[in-house]
Amino acid sequence: MNVAARLASMEREVRHDTPVSEPPDVFIDHVTKVFDGAAGKVTALDKVSLSLRRGAFVAIIGPSGCGKSTLLRLAAGLEQADLGAAFIRGEDPVTFRARGELGIAFQDPALLSWRSVARNIALPLQVLGRSPRKHAADIRKLIDLVGLSGYQDALPGQLSGGMRQRVAIARALVTNPSVLLLDEPFGALDQILRRTMNVELERIWMHRRATTLLVTHGIDEAVFLADEVVVMQARPGRIAEIVPVPFPRPRDPSLMYTREFQDICARLSAGLYGESAG
Amino acid sequence: MTLRLLRSAAIAVAVLLVWEAVGHVPVQGVRVFPPPSAIFWQYVADHDLYLEHIAATVHTAALGFVFGNAAAILAAIAFCRFPVLERVFHGVNVTLFAVPMIVVGPVLVLVLDGGLPQIVLSALAVYFPSMAATLVGLRDVDLRVVDVIRSCGGGETAVLRFARLRGALPSLLAGLKIAASLSVLGAILGEFGSGERWGLGTFLLGSLGQANAARLWGISLAATGIAMAGYGILALIERRMLGATIPVTLAASRLPDHLARGSGLSLAASVGLSLLAIAMPFLLWAAILWVTGLNPIIAPGPVDTFNYLFAGPEAADARARLFDALASTLPMAFLGLLAGLIAAFVLAALSVLVPTLTKALMPAALMLQSTPLVALAPIVLLILGRDVAASLTLAILVVFFPAFVLLAQGFALVPRAALEVVEAYGGSQLKRLVLVSIPYSTRYLFAAAKLVAPRALLGVMVAEWLLTGTGLGNLLDISRASLDYGIIWSGAVASVLVAVAAYQLVSILERLTIR
Repeated sequence: MNVAARLASMEREVRHDTPVSEPPDVFIDHVTKVFDGAAGKVTALDKVSLSLRRGAFVAIIGPSGCGKSTLLRLAAGLEQADLGAAFIRGEDPVTFRARGELGIAFQDPALLSWRSVARNIALPLQVLGRSPRKHAADIRKLIDLVGLSGYQDALPGQLSGGMRQRVAIARALVTNPSVLLLDEPFGALDQILRRTMNVELERIWMHRRATTLLVTHGIDEAVFLADEVVVMQARPGRIAEIVPVPFPRPRDPSLMYTREFQDICARLSAGLYGESAG
Repeated sequence: MTLRLLRSAAIAVAVLLVWEAVGHVPVQGVRVFPPPSAIFWQYVADHDLYLEHIAATVHTAALGFVFGNAAAILAAIAFCRFPVLERVFHGVNVTLFAVPMIVVGPVLVLVLDGGLPQIVLSALAVYFPSMAATLVGLRDVDLRVVDVIRSCGGGETAVLRFARLRGALPSLLAGLKIAASLSVLGAILGEFGSGERWGLGTFLLGSLGQANAARLWGISLAATGIAMAGYGILALIERRMLGATIPVTLAASRLPDHLARGSGLSLAASVGLSLLAIAMPFLLWAAILWVTGLNPIIAPGPVDTFNYLFAGPEAADARARLFDALASTLPMAFLGLLAGLIAAFVLAALSVLVPTLTKALMPAALMLQSTPLVALAPIVLLILGRDVAASLTLAILVVFFPAFVLLAQGFALVPRAALEVVEAYGGSQLKRLVLVSIPYSTRYLFAAAKLVAPRALLGVMVAEWLLTGTGLGNLLDISRASLDYGIIWSGAVASVLVAVAAYQLVSILERLTIR
């Protein structure tokens, strides 16, 4: 089968890319995940493999139900695979995340409504048993970094949607994570705010260089932010292709209007809609 | 703001004036509605009596409130942390929810001394609503927050500490408001059977025989006042504490709670747990008697009680007395439940057509649903006498208000878009009600039925105990007075079984009707 053949060659390619001396930061090894839905069993992921080298920014796009969020949750150890396994730096994600080097953010900011901005950002520190007071300076810097200076004592209910999402990003960064997992972090925002947040995220990422896996619906968002865009297909969830994004960093928003950018987006949408790329 | 205050004050004054005028007209030789001035002067005349009685009831209710809520909160945390515990204690929880509290009083008096029976009854009355509210609050955690906590290495303990406990606070406070008035109800019901010298329940019982309308109204108002004060204090605390913490999570993106799903148990384990849940109330009953080492004649266990009804020398006689009583109580409770529910549903539906109706009724309904229902008994006596109508009326009254509040809220939750679809095709308001609102809100009818069915039974039994001298309520009252231990225990158990069966029946009907 054409897709299977392409998949096999791609897997080989991915393995090949990874130097033997440096193991991948995030490694998803032939993972299969089946859900029991109301309409029978759904294969969310079918023998999917993916690896991220240290410091990579990889985006996953694909239609609803292609298993892209499940893939991210497997990498975070929030979901267990039926077959295969996920590793972060060679460890089980559940072991790895106990070190406090995993940052995560979702489409929903998932803030605690009774905690101020600063105390929401400090939550991971407290969970890890670290003193938020010792890290007060870091928290301050993070608040500045995500552009919320002066709002450290505000409650989530007093903030706009975009501001809340920035708090969630800051919270994901507070432990200075080496691996960052972002599941449609700007999915609930409007187009204008989303673009602003993309630019900010790129700036923050340049600052920290954490290995980042971003799940998104937005093709332009994926191309603007990532070094590599993974296109997934649904039923069963599989990787259809991986497209490298060669643009240098830091990237300016004007990049989005260039011919090269548009070409990559066009190629990705062709892949998404199941047409032959080329 | 000041204008609204002025208007409220004007309405209050007008009501009082009308009441005063009506109060001076005697009905059947008794002044059924004693004028406010008469009630006031009766308070002045009785003030030293009131102080003692109120102090005793407040003391009992406060202790019951504290102990009942402490148990409720600890139980909710345990149930949330270990869901299997909740399944094991399901039978106990349903029993405590459905039991007509008035039957527990005489049993407690046999087992405990002094002021303890009333305090325990008050605590028992408080337990279920607080436990349920706390558990809902603990469970209703944002699953994304759980994911965030787990992603930074936290376990279920961290989730409990950082998200669940504080997140449960609004729900807990809502439960405590209900608990405040229930603790007063429990205290008064306990006082009926305790034979204690002081307490509003004792005062009420002693005053029923006298034709002093002003005093009966006074006791009703005092009991209501205490319950409302408790409710009000907690509402104030609630406003202080929750001022700025509005949930900000997008509800639509929430996943179903992991805990609510089947925990992957085998069929055998599941059936075993269910059987254990059914046996648990009886096991607890036996265990408590075993630990306290009470005389089995005064405090028989489950087996003794079964034997009393089905094997002992007086078994046939005891069964006959019990069935007679049930045959008079149950139809009354059922009728009251039905009439109260229908009235509440019709009024809630009408309030969709006439929104001012909700506005007018809701504050009164909210207030009266948290009133200890026994406080209404003297007023019912004055108006309806000691007739069957009194039982029915009390049952309808205690059913109507909570059912109306729940159903009116249900009608308010009908999706706007569904209504607008009918409107877009030119459907009238009545069409919208018939096509959308009523079918949509039927589901709340079952929730309301489950909520108020035990109350209907309690309402009828209180009326029987205090007023009509018939049925199960009366049987328990006379057995209490004549120290007929077998009937006290078997009557209490029969009432509990009937109440639990009614609850299960509604649950099954609900599952069959709503998909």
